[in-house]
Amino acid sequence: MTLTSKSLPGTPAPPARRPGGRGRGRARNRFALFGRFRFGFVSPAVLLVAVLLYLPFVWTAYLSLTRYDGLASPEFTGLDNYARLLDDPALLTSIRNTLLWVLGTTVLPVGLGLLVAVLSYDIKGGTWYRLPFLLPYAMSGAGLGMLWGFILQPEGVANRVLGFLGMPGADMAFLDDGPENTIAMIVVWTWQQLGVNMLLFVVGLQSIPRAPIEAARIDGASGWRLFRHVTWPLMRPLTTVVFGLALVASLKTFDVVWVMTQGGPGRTSETLAVTMYRDVFVADEYGYGSAVAVLLTTVTGLASYLYMRRQIGKEVR
Amino acid sequence: MKPSKRPRVTALSIGAAMLALAACGGGGSGEKKTELKLYNDKGGWTQYFDQMGVKSKQEIGLGMKPVGYTDEPSYTAFIKASFRTKVKPDLFTWSTGGRLEEIVRQKQVSDTTALWQEAVKNGDLTQALAKYYTIDGKQYCVPLNTAYWGMFYDKKVFAKHGLEPPKTWNDLMKIAETLKSKGQVPFQHTTPTSLFSFVWFEQLLAGTDPDLYERLGSGKASFTDPGVVKVMEQWKSMIDKGWFSNPGDKADPADHFKTGKAAMVSSGTWFNTSMTQRGLKQGKDYGFFFIPNVDPALPKRSLIFESGPLCSLRKAADSEASAKYLKWWISPGAQEQWANSRGDVSGNPKVKVADPDLDRITKDAAGDQNRLVLRFFEAVPAPVLTAALDGLSGFVVKPDTYMKVLQDIQKANEDYWKNKANGG
Repeated sequence: MTLTSKSLPGTPAPPARRPGGRGRGRARNRFALFGRFRFGFVSPAVLLVAVLLYLPFVWTAYLSLTRYDGLASPEFTGLDNYARLLDDPALLTSIRNTLLWVLGTTVLPVGLGLLVAVLSYDIKGGTWYRLPFLLPYAMSGAGLGMLWGFILQPEGVANRVLGFLGMPGADMAFLDDGPENTIAMIVVWTWQQLGVNMLLFVVGLQSIPRAPIEAARIDGASGWRLFRHVTWPLMRPLTTVVFGLALVASLKTFDVVWVMTQGGPGRTSETLAVTMYRDVFVADEYGYGSAVAVLLTTVTGLASYLYMRRQIGKEVR
Repeated sequence: MKPSKRPRVTALSIGAAMLALAACGGGGSGEKKTELKLYNDKGGWTQYFDQMGVKSKQEIGLGMKPVGYTDEPSYTAFIKASFRTKVKPDLFTWSTGGRLEEIVRQKQVSDTTALWQEAVKNGDLTQALAKYYTIDGKQYCVPLNTAYWGMFYDKKVFAKHGLEPPKTWNDLMKIAETLKSKGQVPFQHTTPTSLFSFVWFEQLLAGTDPDLYERLGSGKASFTDPGVVKVMEQWKSMIDKGWFSNPGDKADPADHFKTGKAAMVSSGTWFNTSMTQRGLKQGKDYGFFFIPNVDPALPKRSLIFESGPLCSLRKAADSEASAKYLKWWISPGAQEQWANSRGDVSGNPKVKVADPDLDRITKDAAGDQNRLVLRFFEAVPAPVLTAALDGLSGFVVKPDTYMKVLQDIQKANEDYWKNKANGG
């Protein structure tokens, strides 16, 4: 074993010589004032996060163990609300619809967004082809719900257009029964979200290095083979993010459903987020609604974690 | 020793944050107000509230500004949250029945017993109305509005087909048959997303067996009672005959009426306000009749009735001013303005109704031939109502599910009353 002077007790270590050390020392002095007050600068942000995020979550978790109507004091009931979750047919419908949303919104807007991006990329006037897909993104979720609620209502615009074109579905009540109403709303959501996914993919296509693509072309790759074996793998980091965002957004779907159907008729189109809102604010069951909120948070957190871990694992490999 | 700066900085940061939070709290008790804020779930009535604010400023020196909500759950959540915060409404609208009882039990609402006693004595309010505002022998809030439920009908459509308002249930059924045979949808059906999916349920049940209807509200009858099942079957048969407009149609009932999509709309007399806002005139464009009993053998006509309360909080910022405003609100002058501007009836019998048709309705409703039946919305406890609205909204689009719907409502009914019996 070799002992260096650095490791000898009582021996002062020689000052480490760092390249550019003098300049960095100056910088350190310049920011010394901030260093001393760093907690003061950080604390407002920490307080905001603690007060607006962590505290409500802890409070919600506590409420999920109580029976509470928003008026009297919460009454501790242990895991009763969670036991009730297992026996609630409306929650099962809600979970089914949420899964449909996850499947639908991760496949349709992301898949179609990618398709439009690839087809319109690198062609003359591509921007103009992409523009119509992007415009609906300017609408708010509530506006989207209002507009399509009227289009899809019985004898609404959708029925009339289908009737005029002699297509099936002219008499269909799109929002009256489940899971058809959920599927209809996923299509509406796709209409709005396709554009932003497409835009992200176009940015991804623009940022990937040209050399490997050119090399693959010289080697004779083109079309689907070029995309499958060269372009797609190069875009994986971006795809991971786009897919992850769509996954989280789908799990917390609320605004479109609330505006279009309020989760009805007869609770057939509720998602977990709508069930949570309904139980708390409509049925005044703050305890049970909080249990749904904890379930939703856990599912969203777990799904995001598993997805990201898997994807990041792939990246590392 | 020079004290460390870190604790001082941390303490300063926390202090600043606390000051900021305290500043957000605002308000305080003991202040004297010259203008009150009236929180309400009737966002469409803002102009009428504004007119009342101007009038009250002139008459009692207290102005009023309405804060109108259009989304019921948001409104209810805000009012309930205000009980625990400093942002308290000076005045707020609510509903009678279980929901009023709920907030009274929490000792949030100010007692208006003295005000009621004086008003009943001088004839501004009636004893009959007082029972809807009475909990454990005391009165709370005052009537914001009073309404009777009946049928609004399109006069032009009726005239075109030579029809007259019905005298009996059979007459009404014949009118529906005639209209349907002429290609006209007879009745408007509420959308599943509205709060009114119960309307035909209550009308059919109250007109068939009002005692059973009232027993349902007090937990003494089951929603799967054969009498209730029969009513649902009757409603279903009417839907099957194509007598109702499509329930998924999102258009406002008044627009439905105006565009001729349905010849009749069952609603409260406050629907006059929606009609007036659309330029339709009572007596010329539309008429109103009370719906006859389904069972002609009943001794009295079941008349669906509602009264929405205007309340003040026990811990209101200026409880004296709030009480003064409530007293003014029920006075004949204030009520005349309030009822006539909206084209609706008033809870104050002294009020002179300007519209002759409305005057006829008010007098007819006050007659001895009627049995007032509280609207379903107020007649059943809140959790049962929520289950009923969920269930009935599903029923209107899938009428075959009526038995499952009744079973689901009954489950909520049983849970509520069992919980109440256990002191919950």
